[in-house]
Amino acid sequence: MAHFLFFLLAIICIASVLGMIISKDQAYNALFLIVAFVCMGGLFALLEAPFIAAVQIIIYAGAIMILFIFVIMMINLRKGVGPEKKRWTVYFAVVIAFVLIAELVLTVKGTLEPISSAAVEKLGNPTDLGRLLFTKYLYPFEITSILIIAALVGAIVLVKKRDKE
Amino acid sequence: MNTFYALFPLLIIVAASLLVMILEVFFKREDRSYLAYLSLLFLIASAAACVKFWNKGYSYFDGNLSLSNLSLFFCSILIVATFLVILISMKYLTLHSANYGEYYALLLFALSGMIIMVSSSDLIVIFLGLEVLSLSSYALAGLRREDEKSNEAAIKYFLLGSFASAFLVFGIAFLYGATQATAIPSIIEGLKTGSSIGTLGLVGLGLVVIGFGFKVAVVPFHMWTPDVYQGAPTPITAFFSVGPKAVGFAVLLRIFIPYFQDALESQLLFGLLWIIAAITMIAGNLIALRQTNVKRILAYSSIAHAGYLMVAILAKDILGLVFYLTAYLFMNIGAFAAVIALGKKDHEYLELEDYRGIGFRYPWIGATFAVFLISLAGFPPTGGFLAKFYVFSAAVRQGLVSLVIIGVLASLVSVFYYLRIIIYMYMREPAYEVDINYDNPSLFLALFLCLYGVLQLGIFPGNILVLIRQAVAALPFL
Repeated sequence: MAHFLFFLLAIICIASVLGMIISKDQAYNALFLIVAFVCMGGLFALLEAPFIAAVQIIIYAGAIMILFIFVIMMINLRKGVGPEKKRWTVYFAVVIAFVLIAELVLTVKGTLEPISSAAVEKLGNPTDLGRLLFTKYLYPFEITSILIIAALVGAIVLVKKRDKE
Repeated sequence: MNTFYALFPLLIIVAASLLVMILEVFFKREDRSYLAYLSLLFLIASAAACVKFWNKGYSYFDGNLSLSNLSLFFCSILIVATFLVILISMKYLTLHSANYGEYYALLLFALSGMIIMVSSSDLIVIFLGLEVLSLSSYALAGLRREDEKSNEAAIKYFLLGSFASAFLVFGIAFLYGATQATAIPSIIEGLKTGSSIGTLGLVGLGLVVIGFGFKVAVVPFHMWTPDVYQGAPTPITAFFSVGPKAVGFAVLLRIFIPYFQDALESQLLFGLLWIIAAITMIAGNLIALRQTNVKRILAYSSIAHAGYLMVAILAKDILGLVFYLTAYLFMNIGAFAAVIALGKKDHEYLELEDYRGIGFRYPWIGATFAVFLISLAGFPPTGGFLAKFYVFSAAVRQGLVSLVIIGVLASLVSVFYYLRIIIYMYMREPAYEVDINYDNPSLFLALFLCLYGVLQLGIFPGNILVLIRQAVAALPFL
């Protein structure tokens, strides 16, 4: 059952990512991306990581996609941009793609053994994650709050209405 | 020693930026320079904490935050850099009607990000620090909203900076995959012992190089630099040219100097960095020859200096690298301060043509600017000369003779464009009137401090060298 679900989700995921790349309509692209994110969430759930699965769906399929759709709506880009005409960039992209595939193969070959043998850390549930965040990763966690306030202040400075003086 | 005190330098800076933001509401627009004084006060407090913790070796959060002497030295020079940048921006902000309290808050946030980066050896923490720095920088670059060039700078910096961060995270993930660690010492250890997934580690390190290559602006990844430096407000340009470069090299130093020690399979990366250093020195200096905008000239000059700093990494010369960064801080902020000094309400004089006859019309600004340019070109008796001398001699000792030859030839080329500014200032008749706002005491204080720094480092470098030696001696990985 798990295997069946895995392959089902994986195929839908890959198909929708392909659809996203091929389709020229920005709104369809966004929808395909949502489908891909939901499938990813499902894959995480299959790996017994319920928290990450939920976060994947809430943050990526929810919040980030809303942002995308807002941007598409505001810039009004329904037609989309035509494909790149320059030939050498295409060839270059093909080369890079092959390098990435080779990398992927090497990675899988290199790590197949340890993953099947070593006990997979159970990290998926919220309790463990919370405990880790507030013990081992407390410092990075606190830095994130500085990061968020810096981002917030920066964004507000750039867009707020200026008083004429 | 594991103690809460280790947080102080960072906490003071973060507290300062929050306080500045709260107080901004209560100040009228014309009174906002008080916020600058407040920030300066907090910077002094933080620097005092750094000085007090020297040789103490405090750390906290299981060593995620560790104030070794080297970290403290980097923190101090970054605080000094921010101090100088605030001094040169006080009048600039009123002249260019960009006097927002958030300016100082963002600058201090950027500083806190840099302090986080230099005081940790965990890649997750370093990445988060880099993001704090970057996000504040993007906003600072676009602060002059009515100026198109400033907007362009912010967008370019944001897009390319985000790509760089993505590369960096990807690299960190690869390194974690290869070694199951995020702390730099354990990663290096893992890469040296485990050979089965060496390729993965190499790819990871390569991606980390790309990520930081963007930040320090070495040549294949330098495209954003001239436009961002030209478009950003000039004090912020001074900050960009010093701060991110210093922290970038501080992290590269932590990773690559131990990695290059007796690692046999590091030949590939060594060659990669060799090529990057060589083309950075060549291209940076050659393109600078064709520029006529002073900010762009200084931008390409800062690219070229990243090349010399890369030579220091390859020569495994921590002393030379840290000394170079210290000298570079004073001469580069000084040069930008002189450029800011030649400005009036809503206008800056940035074209070479504007500099005709400046040396006689404004003798003090002209003379100090000339000293900074001479130092950037690397003539004695300035700090820039000794910095280059230490780095190149260390490189020769390590057998990198051909790289040093390229470096010396490239810096010969650089003499041309540095001296060209001086020739315009002293040997050309002015074509038109250049009137500037002379009432700018804080900027002249900064100019004086930079001049003092450049000459002190050039004539009596002993004091600083002793401090740097102490910092290097206490390094855990040597």
